[in-house]
Amino acid sequence: MGYAAARGGLDAILAAEELMRAKRDGGSSPALGIDQVTERLNLAVDRVMGEAALWAPQLAAVALRQAEGDLIEAAHLLRAYRSTRPRLARALTVHADELEILRRIVPAYRVPPGPQLLGRTLDYVGRLLDVGTAPAAPGQANPTPTAAAPAVREESGDPADGGPADGDPRRPGRLLDLLRSQGMVRDRRRPDDPEPHDVTRDPVRPGAPRSARLSVMARAETGALVNLWYRNILGPDGYIHEVTLGEVRHGRLPVRVAHPVTGRPVCLGSVRVTEVEAIEDLDGSAEERGLFDVGYGLCLGHNERKAIAMANLDIAVERDGGRSPLEQSVLMTTDGLDASGFLEHLKLPHYVTFRSMVERKAAIRAAARPRAAGVSK
Amino acid sequence: MTVRELAASAALGEFAHLDEQSKREIRCALLTAVAVPGYQVPFASREMPVARGWGSGGLQVTLAVIGPDDTVKVIDQGDDAGVNAANLRRLIVASTGVADTTDAREASIIQTRHRIPEDPLGPDQVLVLQVPVPEPLRAVERDMRELRRMHAEADYSAIWLSLYEDLVRNGVITQSTGYPVLVGGRYVMATTPIPRWDVPKLHQAEFLSLFGAGREKRVYAVPPHTNVEPLAFEDVAFQVERTEGASCLLCGAVDAYLVEVPGREGWICSDTDWCTRRRADESPDVRAGRQLASVSPEAADARV
Repeated sequence: MGYAAARGGLDAILAAEELMRAKRDGGSSPALGIDQVTERLNLAVDRVMGEAALWAPQLAAVALRQAEGDLIEAAHLLRAYRSTRPRLARALTVHADELEILRRIVPAYRVPPGPQLLGRTLDYVGRLLDVGTAPAAPGQANPTPTAAAPAVREESGDPADGGPADGDPRRPGRLLDLLRSQGMVRDRRRPDDPEPHDVTRDPVRPGAPRSARLSVMARAETGALVNLWYRNILGPDGYIHEVTLGEVRHGRLPVRVAHPVTGRPVCLGSVRVTEVEAIEDLDGSAEERGLFDVGYGLCLGHNERKAIAMANLDIAVERDGGRSPLEQSVLMTTDGLDASGFLEHLKLPHYVTFRSMVERKAAIRAAARPRAAGVSK
Repeated sequence: MTVRELAASAALGEFAHLDEQSKREIRCALLTAVAVPGYQVPFASREMPVARGWGSGGLQVTLAVIGPDDTVKVIDQGDDAGVNAANLRRLIVASTGVADTTDAREASIIQTRHRIPEDPLGPDQVLVLQVPVPEPLRAVERDMRELRRMHAEADYSAIWLSLYEDLVRNGVITQSTGYPVLVGGRYVMATTPIPRWDVPKLHQAEFLSLFGAGREKRVYAVPPHTNVEPLAFEDVAFQVERTEGASCLLCGAVDAYLVEVPGREGWICSDTDWCTRRRADESPDVRAGRQLASVSPEAADARV
């Protein structure tokens, strides 16, 4: 056993770990409590849960604290944890109409069916750096939506149960229903009900079903989706329409599983999601130009930037129909862990490959010499 | 089994980090890979405790095939003490309790980045190669649907043409590492970025080579006794890295993959354990003559 020969690298990484730990856990201020992270940095927690594709506010907060606020690193910690967990059950399908809204805006109409509910948003808060005011004392702040998780309860089993109730302002109908009733929207609903493509069990590649595309984007890095969207708005290699937003929603969706004995649906709690419907103007020569079409975005947590980019890219890929590389870009290049991991791997030693490259440079120069002298090799 | 028991068993942590279902899925993909040498088999690729691009694919392959009686060796660039090799080794050892070694002859599983050990490997050994880019045709085609067609139809004209153009333009084929090979006369395969020096070791090998690309979610394999032919022309031979007059400052090796020590006009072996053993095995007189007792390249560097 030549263990001693391998010791140098291990000593170095142990020392690096200690430096990380000492700086993170040291310092003069009190240690950061998990409740502080979930309460005060809730948008970061939401983003980490979305990109990790795991609803677990406490664990996401632990990850964020451990990662010293590095969102991608926190998402990696959470995903790596998730991949070691067994799948105990499979949630029953819930209809997005069950979303209990905390915020809903419909930019497409002044007075849409259902409420315009501004809710909690930074959109109209002046971007003034607030250096003078101390934060409110504990207890004065409004409880965050994460705090309220409904208790486990058994439900009737009636599929209509929990559906959108007429007149419930927290579960309004959606603009898409109005447009459909007016015959204004291309109807892409399909009669069959295929199982969604599980991107964590079955790797995606272009030509994937829409469910795979939506799953990939729901897990994607927010910045990657925003950039891909903007690149296709303003960039050199693509063109997608600016959509009109039909729905921007943030709210709670119930999570149900079938009871292992009775088979009845049991509500285990809820997750918060951001949901977006993007209305697209069909104007291609081969398209049904008298109609609109709709792109869809939904991600865990409150992250409107991501859901809007997702909805617009969803319909853009649909309309593109595989003619451009857009689908491949969406499916293969938007995962934060893939991209950042591969980027950072450039820091690994590469001296074996570099030596080979240097050797080829010498070979090119050597080959050029006899050729210049008119001698064939 | 109750839910409570199931949850309790999960909390214990699995042998080799991954749950059994995940390992089974990876092994199924590996069996397909062995059955169709050189073919890239998609697999789910779990998120690992190491970043994508840092050996997550090789790690999954190792953890899927490892058993309690295995002895593992992990190298990066040929070096057991490389920081990433050390990190992967401790993850493997911590989650399995297997023995580790730096001696390639003692290891039953060797996980590697960018090198194949200089020691000849035998039929009881498995080489697990970390693969950053599994697609050998990516330089000539970006569209994944077209790439699938090309592999399916064995349409490799584009890569042959690119090698020809390279030759015409540069006088030599300039592909340095990850040289494309034809496996079993059927599939063109990326040889990770191992140097060309190591490519002939894959041809009609005694050992099984498993390639894991975690980020791109592919595994592939070269079973023992399989033809692995570098793409080359009849009148332009495949060339491995050789530098006239180069020999290892530490062990004197000429016939090994050497990496340069910049500024010293010198070279050292990339396979550090092989190099160390050569020095230990040689006669004290020779060693005294070379005046090099230290293991570390830094020390050697200071002395030359």
